[in-house]
Amino acid sequence: MTPSPLSSPALFPQRPEPLEEACAAGAGDAAALVAFALSRRLEGDGRPVLMTATRAWLCEHGRPYGPGLSGIPLIMVPVTTAAEALWTLEQSLRSGAVSLALGAVDASTLSQTRRLDFAARQGGSVGLVLPRGLDGLSAARRRWRISTLASAVDPDDAKAPGPARLAAELVRGRGERPGAWMLEQDDETHRLRLADRLAGIGLAAIGHAGAPSGLAA
Amino acid sequence: MRARRPASPPDPALDPKNPFALILKNSRGAAILHALSPAARAAGLRRGQTQADALAMIPHLICKPADPEADTRALTALAVWAERWSPSVSVDAGRQGLGGEGLEGLFLDLTGAAHLFGGETALLAQIRDRLAGAGSRARAAMAPTPAAAWALARWGEAEGDGCIADEGTVRDLLAPLPVEALGIDDRTLAQARRFGLKRIGDLYPMPRAGLARRFRDGDGVGLVQRLDQALGLAGEALTPVRPPPKYRAWQAWMEPVGDIEGVEARLADLVTDLAAPLLRDGQGARALTLTGFRSDGGTTGLSVRMGRPGRDAGIWLRLFREAGLGRLELGFGLDALMLTADAVEPMTPRQGALESEAEAKQAESLAALIDRLTARLGEARVLTPEPVDSWIPERAERWRPALGRGPMARADADPRRPILLLDPPEPVEALAELPDGAPVRFIWRRLSRRVVRSDGPERLSPEWWRPRPDDRQVRTRDYYRVEDDAGARYWLFREGLYGREFSGAAEERAPSWWMHGVLA
Repeated sequence: MTPSPLSSPALFPQRPEPLEEACAAGAGDAAALVAFALSRRLEGDGRPVLMTATRAWLCEHGRPYGPGLSGIPLIMVPVTTAAEALWTLEQSLRSGAVSLALGAVDASTLSQTRRLDFAARQGGSVGLVLPRGLDGLSAARRRWRISTLASAVDPDDAKAPGPARLAAELVRGRGERPGAWMLEQDDETHRLRLADRLAGIGLAAIGHAGAPSGLAA
Repeated sequence: MRARRPASPPDPALDPKNPFALILKNSRGAAILHALSPAARAAGLRRGQTQADALAMIPHLICKPADPEADTRALTALAVWAERWSPSVSVDAGRQGLGGEGLEGLFLDLTGAAHLFGGETALLAQIRDRLAGAGSRARAAMAPTPAAAWALARWGEAEGDGCIADEGTVRDLLAPLPVEALGIDDRTLAQARRFGLKRIGDLYPMPRAGLARRFRDGDGVGLVQRLDQALGLAGEALTPVRPPPKYRAWQAWMEPVGDIEGVEARLADLVTDLAAPLLRDGQGARALTLTGFRSDGGTTGLSVRMGRPGRDAGIWLRLFREAGLGRLELGFGLDALMLTADAVEPMTPRQGALESEAEAKQAESLAALIDRLTARLGEARVLTPEPVDSWIPERAERWRPALGRGPMARADADPRRPILLLDPPEPVEALAELPDGAPVRFIWRRLSRRVVRSDGPERLSPEWWRPRPDDRQVRTRDYYRVEDDAGARYWLFREGLYGREFSGAAEERAPSWWMHGVLA
């Protein structure tokens, strides 16, 4: 499961680890964060997605909206405390009934994330913790920082926003080199893919401003 | 420990030596005695007397206002507690217009249950003892019909064999009781007395047709019908406080159990006991209720629901643990525990041809997960979106409890719709080049954003047949997808058309801008 170190540093790690962590780079990047999180499902996995978030988070960023979710069956669990969110995540990961469990949880500790990692392995699901920042300790295998980018050009209408683009920056990966990639929404499959022109080459190569910490490591 | 001084002088009403009465206003507005303490009864007062009369007889009578609603609640709670003896307990709230005493009561349907408690005499003794221990003075009697039991419990012997009637003895046991024991109204009673019919036995030799003609009260429940009901010639319907469950498991023990661990250990036996008959009948439970009977006359309960019928004792036990056995109020301890299956459905064998084994297992584990989350967090917090036929975006889906439903994938995915919807929409200050055009700059959450690309409008007509909650006119919405110079994409709309749609006050006539969601 664990990729061998430095095998192919520039390749986007398409295959998700059991537990990953992702945070939004800025206040306006929540939608990009959720879109990225939903794309971390295993390919062709028909199991539903469970999302848990505090009511405060849902008020601030909005609630997941079915028609915009590109046909993903969703279970939503609004909670009041981080403890409830962590319990919900662990239960759903361990049950193996969901393909992906998202939790907008802050202040999770190392042992709590380790439990989640273990539960995700047991259930064969992917767990994604969405904290406010990436400063805490975590047992997550990969830690991402997500920001929106200007959209691709719409071939039919140059003035309209085209397919959505976002920057996914791998801040820390176990046995992987950090990097940054530009992902683009595919209007046909409703999934995120690497933006065409870059063909899997790291975003840092084109000098994206959001990538310095990725280069530094 | 220091002895605590009483905060106030002792309440004289609490002293059983003082005559005490509860007062209720009758329909004519006169204050009458509603209930009496034994001391007040011993002093010669009776129920239904006016308060002025009673105070003239006993000047030191302590009076308090009665609370009939609280009485009814307490009686219903006691009825639930009495389910320890019978699955079907009904409340008898008392018959109107009768001048007797202690009219409220409980009916326990004990058909075929007496042997479980060591016979009828032992059962009645147990009922009396337990009620006395719980602080309720009660009389109990047993008879083949509710009406006969009603009469014997109130007018028959207090103890001994005289309060147990069977089909052979009910006629003789009722004969010496006064006619009131049939539960007839005052008018019929006065009429019967005028004819010299004092005891129930006096009615036996009378010709039925004559009796029926003469004694017919307003409600149609005449003397003859009550007599027939008492003797089992006519039926009488009782409404149990809770519908009697078809499946229940039951355990009682001598010493009260006061800790949750003890309850959990016994619950483990109960779930196995309940699962066996369900398996035998090919049924599965969708809702379970655990009722604990406290020694002080109260009950405590916990319910769990499941998305699909099941009979796995281990899963049930886990659900009860998730729902929180700690929420049971044990008081001074439980002396009996009952587990009932409230909703039962036939369990059909799985259709192997239609869904593969893996899919079936997958669906099962998902249902089990939803059950578990729901047991702990409550139905209102484990949700799944349900599509609704409406083109107003916030109405196009509704969040429903996931229990028993399971999530579905929407077929109408649209990348032009936001991934996160702000509901309700947030007001935006926007600046457009043309009145009907897309915004070029807008302020949302106190930050000014410059629009670099925009797409729209997508015009959504109002659903005029559905009024707004604030009673303002519903207006057309023009939706725009815009991208600001920072690369963030938003979904905002202008409500109202320039010069054509008005809404309420003059300052609200201009169209307004709203932020409705954030696009990926």
